[in-house]
Amino acid sequence: MSSGKRRPSTASTPTPNPPKRFQSNTNRQQQQQPPPPPPKPSSMAEEEEEMMDEDVFLEETLLLQEEERNEAFSTRLSKWKRPSLSHSYLSLSQPIVFQQLEIDYVIGESHKELLPSSSGAAAILRIFGVTSEGHSVCCRVHGFEPYFYISCPQGMGPDDISRFHQTLEARMRESNRSSNVLRFVKRIEMLHKRSIMYYQQQQSHPFLKVVVALPTMVASCRGILERGIQIDGLGFKSFITYESNVLFALRFMIDCNIVGGNWIEIPVGKCKRAVKNISYCQLELDCLYSELISHAPEGQFSKMAPFRILSFDIECAGRKGLFPEPSHDPVIQVANLVTLQGEDHPLIRNVMTLKSCSPIVGVDVMSFETEKDVLLAWRDFIREIDPDVIIGYNICKFDLPYLIERAEALKIADFPILGRIRNSRVRVRDTTFSSRQYGVRESKEVTIEGRVQFDLLQVMQRDYKLSSYSLNSVSAHFLSEQKEDVHHSIISDLQNGNPETRRRLAVYCLKDAYLPQRLLDKLMFMYNYVEMARVTGVPISFLLSRGQSIKVLSQLLRKAKQKNLVIPNVKGQGSGQDTFEGATVLEAKAGFYEKPIATLDFASLYPSIMMAYNLCYCTLVLPEDVCKLNLPPECINKTPSGETFVKSDLQKGVLPEILEELLAARKRAKADLKEAKDPFEKAVLDGRQLALKISANSVYGFTGATVAQLPCLEISSSVTSYGRQMIEHTKKLVEEKFTTTGGYDYNAQVVYGDTDSVMVQFGVSNVAAAMTLGREAAEYISNTFTKPIKLEFEKVYYPYLLISKKRYAGLLWTNPDKFDKMDTKGIETVRRDNCLLVKNLVTECLNKILIDRDIPGAVQHVKNIISDLLMNRMDLSLLVITKGLTKTGDDYAVKAAHVELAERMRKRDAATAPNVGDRVPYVIIKAAKGAKAYEKSEDPIYVLENNIPIDPQYYLENQISKPLLRIFEPILKNASKELLHGSHTRAVSISTPSNSGIMKFAKKQLTCIGCKALLSDKDQTLCPHCKGREAELYCRTVANVSELEMLFGRLWTQCQECQGSLHQDVLCTSRDCPIFYRRKKAQKDMAEAKVQLDRWKF
Amino acid sequence: MEAASADMEINGDQKTLHRKQSLYQPLQYSQIYFTRLHHMRTILHSLVHLWKPHLPDDPVNTVLGLEQGKECVIVGTIYKHMKLKPSILEEYSKERSAGPLVRPHNFMHSDDPLVLEDESGRVKGSGGRGDPSIFVTGVVAGLHGKETGEGDFLVLDVLEAGLAPQAPIPPGLREDKYVVLVSGLSVGSSASNPLQFQLLVDHLTGHLGDEKEQSIASQIVRLVIAGNSVELPQGLLAGQNLASKDQSKLFEPIKELDILLTQLAVAMPVDIMPGLNDPANFALPQQPLHRCLFPGASAYNTFTSCTNPHSFELDNIRFLGTSGQNIDDLAKYSDATETLDFMGRTLRWRHLAPTAPNTLGCYPFTDRDPFLIESCPHVYFVGNQKNYETRVIKGSEGQSVRLISIPKFSETGIAVMVPKRHQAPTKTKTKGAHSIRLRSQLSEWGNHQAQDR
Repeated sequence: MSSGKRRPSTASTPTPNPPKRFQSNTNRQQQQQPPPPPPKPSSMAEEEEEMMDEDVFLEETLLLQEEERNEAFSTRLSKWKRPSLSHSYLSLSQPIVFQQLEIDYVIGESHKELLPSSSGAAAILRIFGVTSEGHSVCCRVHGFEPYFYISCPQGMGPDDISRFHQTLEARMRESNRSSNVLRFVKRIEMLHKRSIMYYQQQQSHPFLKVVVALPTMVASCRGILERGIQIDGLGFKSFITYESNVLFALRFMIDCNIVGGNWIEIPVGKCKRAVKNISYCQLELDCLYSELISHAPEGQFSKMAPFRILSFDIECAGRKGLFPEPSHDPVIQVANLVTLQGEDHPLIRNVMTLKSCSPIVGVDVMSFETEKDVLLAWRDFIREIDPDVIIGYNICKFDLPYLIERAEALKIADFPILGRIRNSRVRVRDTTFSSRQYGVRESKEVTIEGRVQFDLLQVMQRDYKLSSYSLNSVSAHFLSEQKEDVHHSIISDLQNGNPETRRRLAVYCLKDAYLPQRLLDKLMFMYNYVEMARVTGVPISFLLSRGQSIKVLSQLLRKAKQKNLVIPNVKGQGSGQDTFEGATVLEAKAGFYEKPIATLDFASLYPSIMMAYNLCYCTLVLPEDVCKLNLPPECINKTPSGETFVKSDLQKGVLPEILEELLAARKRAKADLKEAKDPFEKAVLDGRQLALKISANSVYGFTGATVAQLPCLEISSSVTSYGRQMIEHTKKLVEEKFTTTGGYDYNAQVVYGDTDSVMVQFGVSNVAAAMTLGREAAEYISNTFTKPIKLEFEKVYYPYLLISKKRYAGLLWTNPDKFDKMDTKGIETVRRDNCLLVKNLVTECLNKILIDRDIPGAVQHVKNIISDLLMNRMDLSLLVITKGLTKTGDDYAVKAAHVELAERMRKRDAATAPNVGDRVPYVIIKAAKGAKAYEKSEDPIYVLENNIPIDPQYYLENQISKPLLRIFEPILKNASKELLHGSHTRAVSISTPSNSGIMKFAKKQLTCIGCKALLSDKDQTLCPHCKGREAELYCRTVANVSELEMLFGRLWTQCQECQGSLHQDVLCTSRDCPIFYRRKKAQKDMAEAKVQLDRWKF
Repeated sequence: MEAASADMEINGDQKTLHRKQSLYQPLQYSQIYFTRLHHMRTILHSLVHLWKPHLPDDPVNTVLGLEQGKECVIVGTIYKHMKLKPSILEEYSKERSAGPLVRPHNFMHSDDPLVLEDESGRVKGSGGRGDPSIFVTGVVAGLHGKETGEGDFLVLDVLEAGLAPQAPIPPGLREDKYVVLVSGLSVGSSASNPLQFQLLVDHLTGHLGDEKEQSIASQIVRLVIAGNSVELPQGLLAGQNLASKDQSKLFEPIKELDILLTQLAVAMPVDIMPGLNDPANFALPQQPLHRCLFPGASAYNTFTSCTNPHSFELDNIRFLGTSGQNIDDLAKYSDATETLDFMGRTLRWRHLAPTAPNTLGCYPFTDRDPFLIESCPHVYFVGNQKNYETRVIKGSEGQSVRLISIPKFSETGIAVMVPKRHQAPTKTKTKGAHSIRLRSQLSEWGNHQAQDR
């Protein structure tokens, strides 16, 4: 394989007129362009995409000469270079110890000095990392070869192997004809191993280890073997392959005991300096894989290296009414923030702007005349700063692809060299990430070699369930910081203004770069994710780009290797419809409990069950084997679901062992956490215990995910069946033991049981007594279970409102003096397609019922709100419903309210209408009888300005009634009648729209403020009849004004606060912000109230 | 209204005109800050030279033009970033905490940084000088210092504008004249005692006391009621049409006030200012209480309903005062040992209500800042405070201002009498509706008066 060949990015097409020095390259690209991978059927993509290695070929020739750049600019950048290398590093006279963050591989010529015996193309692993002094390291590891196993067919002896080798080699050459590799299958070895599947009495069987030349050949070789191959003397045989779906980098990590984010040492004298640097790292080394020392993340190796985190955000000037597109709309600003891991303050803050921009305190503002300069400046910045981690908000889907596509549109061929390899361009490809847990997400995968991307949006979507994932609402949620949201239609205006307006934009852009960093710090993502990588052993980048199962697989592979087991490559069996009975919950006895309810929880129930009953792939006895193997009954467990597993004295399961280790490690981490003083150490330990907990819980899911790597429904259905049995058992014991006949004051009653908890009403009326009984029950019942299954008493709910399965609310007590918080489950407080009114109303009712113990108060509150709704006194912002516009109107099969509205708004004013990707806020208005629901949506601003009446019935029936009835039904008789049809629903007031047809013919006439009688005289305020009530009526008018003024002040000063400036007008149009409509309305109401007040002549 | 002063722009009629803005023109607060900064900057710039003579010729800089390490002076609006400041967003995001909500009276936190802002940008202040506990958002000041490496501004010294110029007091005031200041009558509240108020009325109108006292009463030339005269029952105003018995309930305190005001208006000029609890608008400047509330008193031309803040002149002595909101708000966001300190600060900052519009309700003016103090009053009073306090502060140019903190009458029974000649007030106490006690206190008052002379 000659050098100079590369896999192009599939998203980029070669530029029509590439600069000369790219020419040869481009031609090859076209020849070598592989067919695009066939689209995977979506039904199969249940858990996650199939893992695929991608061979990238190393370019040896250095294409680029460093361009002469503006000198001032480069000195500006050079200030931020990494610390320079000490002498002992330069001479390699000290061992190189670094924390690795990213491991990938390229195909290149094998290293002549290190591997004198081999030649030709080989996979070279690259480990990127940072030393404790902050030097960047790129270590190229040689000699590690891709391989997999197959079971050795019966009768194949050592002599047959070479024949088999030749046959396989021939088949490989046949199917990879275009390739000019010398040898595909390097060698085949015979080993003794055992499959992890099923209990076997024999300790080992012969297996063949097939070593191939390049990682991608694993897949094609696997295909050949699985389909079947004609072997002389043995006939046509198809094989089950083992561990043939392990990514090459992961394979290497497993075999070298490297876990994600750990420290690696290269001893003195074991590595060579690269002859010529092909990366931008300070230390570039070559070594053999066998020489690496991988340090377990303990003691001094548990800390973090001071790696550089770049947070950035770009602004684009979109055209009116259109979302920015890289083919048209320029990138106008890039804001950057670089922080060293572990530091509170950023090292660098700068912003690169197109056209001049006024300075910003504490920020390096760099202005450029052309867009090309901005982009190239950013590239140089990246190169010079050399960040290890790149973070941002939605960078993977928007910012990075946009920059790259924009550079393509501008024909800046040397822009996308952002990685750490000198001449390697960033590759972009579309990916679909789908998993049962996270749903299907389309994304772009941007490969920046040697730098970890950490998109906070992805993290948020993975780790938290929020009603909105806009940066604004996420920051409001976690940082209690709102940010100003400038609509993209204003961005162009600001850009086209003067240096001052561009500065305004820059400040905004900086804030967008700053918030992700704040989120990262505040939520400890760096610590938590590195610890997760260390615990599960996968590279950090896998944690975001892949699903759960790879984490378990990695642990399983590691453990299997220790035990000389191999893991078969089982194709996803089935359609994902194979289901088994899930965890049942005990029937909920709905009601409002005003006595304490003790909750008995199983501590990590599923892991405990797997440990207690030794459930594993390797302990499962096949039904046909049960008799055949003639196992003594005392050595086996028959699970409630009918499967048979051997006990641990016969064969210890791998999964139970993994779990034991995880839980033991968690215990240790928690103990250390108590001891730890140093805040960084604490953060690491806390991240670790959290990672351990999550990992332990995901093992069960791994066995149940039908399209995952190694599904085993026997295990997962056994686990849940045991779980059900335990819940039932607990219920039985509690209700048997805690009775008046058993010497207790009351008969205990189990009111509800969830997956791993049981709620018991002991009948006592104070919390302390319930706690004592709860503890007693937990201890008593725990003793009846196999270890380590343990029932724990943790909390008491008092009072407790049980609505139905998985829906309840209550005050949670962990100590008898004071309740901790209100705990709710399954109740509409966060669902995003509800309006705010629902959330507020539900929360307030629960507060009143549970905390204030004021049920009549709650009922009254509901009535007041309903009355306010019907009387048109409702704050409009509470009624706004928001939905994302994901595609244009024509693409929707059914008409949806928000889509129709977007269409109508486009007709009114294309510039401000929402576009695809925007969230569309709307309210439901009163429309002609029989109008469809989707026709009744309207823009809230338009509603405000034109006094359009909202449809209170819609809100009453479709929004608030269900959640309310759910809460009140256990409490009130006739809840529906009482709440939704009482006398408070009689009075209805509807505002008169100011733009409707009939109003054009109406004549406006003043009415008496007191009684609405018509006034003939314009100067009058009151009719003669109301004259006597002057003072009262005036007081009322003025009280109204006063209230509005107060609101106006509070709302608008809050906006100034968010905006971060007192002297500039508020521009924010964030419709996600709860006060956006309120402040608009306050503005309008105040003006109107003022007119009313002015009628009272002084 | 004989004493409506022209330079304080708190003339009621003008305001009403100004507030008739277009319905759709977005009103915002940036304009107020802008004009405030603009006005104050001219004043502060002229002072910089005297303040820091050692600095080079043009030491004044903008926030944008800061250079690292170079000493300079920047003039801008102070913004105090306060963690504990209640935010309207909390209504949406905060869960109700487990314990009862304890609203602190003061929202200060030891880590609140001062930020200085001008049109060009913001910079965070650091360093020992410029105690954040004194300053509040909205004050325009000059900071002397330099930019540090981290982008902060190391504050070496702070420049306040100081007292505004003051018109000289015309000499030769012979006769004794008194202005009586009272606040917080709170008619209709549980704290108010009708008899106590009646005693005050009788006392002021000369129906009580001995001859000496009566002669003093005869020298009262004006009564100023500084806010919170009535307290209306809460909740009655919000609902729908009131039943007739509620109407009278609502109206009762106002009627009672009107009767007493009529008695007073017969005897002397009465100025009534609206306050926080009065049936008036919320935002400053508060508009005068409507005449229709006082059908009795407003028949007399001695009765004036005026704005809050209120400014008037009597024989060229300028009075300026508020019903207390400005000072109460300062107390929430800054620290001082007594009310008078706050009052002194507002004079030195030349701004009556710096926290407006940030935390104090304020009308979004677009063309001016009505609370700038362009000329220094001779008497500066603030109503509805805890205690009676008074002090004279002097300015660098010989200005001398008498500061008076008027307590709530309904709680303390104290009214303050200011002899115009010396502007040294005395308090008159009518606490405990007992004529004998009242008498003894009156004589005490007489003694004070003697001392003042």
